[in-house]
Amino acid sequence: MPADAASLNDADLILRCAGQDRAAFRTLYAKWSARLHGVALRITRDPALAADATHDAFVQLWQQAARYDPKLGEAGAWLMSLARYRALDLVRRRGRERLGHEPAQDQADQGPDPLASLLAAADGGALHRCLETLQPERRRLIVLAFVEGYSHSQLAALLAVPVGTVKSWIRRSLIGLKECLAS
Amino acid sequence: MSGADDDFSPETLAAEYVLGTLDAAGHAAASARLAVDPAFAAEVRFWEDRLFPLTALAAPVPPPAALLSRIEASIGAPAPANDNRVRFWRTAALAASAVAASLALFVALRPAHPPVFAVLSPTGAVAPVLVAFGGQGEAIGLRPSAAIGVAQDRDLQLWSLPEGATRPASLGVLPAGGKQLPPGVQPGTKLLVSLEPKGGSPTGQPTGPVVYGGVLQRFR
Repeated sequence: MPADAASLNDADLILRCAGQDRAAFRTLYAKWSARLHGVALRITRDPALAADATHDAFVQLWQQAARYDPKLGEAGAWLMSLARYRALDLVRRRGRERLGHEPAQDQADQGPDPLASLLAAADGGALHRCLETLQPERRRLIVLAFVEGYSHSQLAALLAVPVGTVKSWIRRSLIGLKECLAS
Repeated sequence: MSGADDDFSPETLAAEYVLGTLDAAGHAAASARLAVDPAFAAEVRFWEDRLFPLTALAAPVPPPAALLSRIEASIGAPAPANDNRVRFWRTAALAASAVAASLALFVALRPAHPPVFAVLSPTGAVAPVLVAFGGQGEAIGLRPSAAIGVAQDRDLQLWSLPEGATRPASLGVLPAGGKQLPPGVQPGTKLLVSLEPKGGSPTGQPTGPVVYGGVLQRFR
């Protein structure tokens, strides 16, 4: 029913995609494609790869819509994850470990405190509070890994610490975050 | 990167999968586990949900105008012939009972050789099931219950994950009509099917989503 697709929430629209509803699919595309593509572009830093990741994410949305269970999490989180995983896959396949693909410092560090904008996000408060419990450089690792898609070795180069240190900081930070977020 | 990524602890594997810091092999192992381990899948959803606000740090950028029509061409494959669209078979039990029903006929025809079988339950919308079966000492066949639609530039690839193994081994691209498993695939082995670029994974490990998964087991 194209007429009311625009009035449905995202979870309902995804469920309609599971029922092969093209109007629901286009509504989701209109609403989310710029955000998915923005995330893919940030991770791949390559317009062609970003477009491929966005393409694949929406194809997966259509094919795997029945896998989405609204009880387990936000629709937006599920949609964004589709694009992130595809972008990360494409970057891994291209070989992000190769020399010469240096992290773009200017993008990584834009703004005095990128975390401040989390406070503006409707549900970002809890995450912001929990990230604040981490030491600044470890918090930065988590944010850079998630937003920029940096590998352990890229993070190690950026922070000038050994890869093993990056791995152990990330794991300990995640364990701390889990405790904070689950409480 | 090194094999040091093999030592991820269970509590951080899901988190690192979502964070994106696993290397290709670690990511593939986690993807494979997602298909067969509901607790792990729930942990992944926890992290996807909680870290979601961080996606706001990437500015939205509209994709190229032509992308929507490219996507619609990719998903334009006709719906399965069965117009009574079955809802997604949420539980393996439902799939198992359907497969058991078809195997009942199989057993009746071949009572002397108890077959082995696997239920590969669909994880996508209105997807057909894949059934693996074979009599003792015979080749095991894997057949889709109906045509599985895949984009033109993609192939399905079959993987085996023997009990205790952490990385799946490729059993090759899965043709539309199914295929015979090579000899030596033992009961207890997980069979996984991933969506890959045409011709199969370029890395030797799954790179795309694992869309089917099931365990080969003895039928008694």
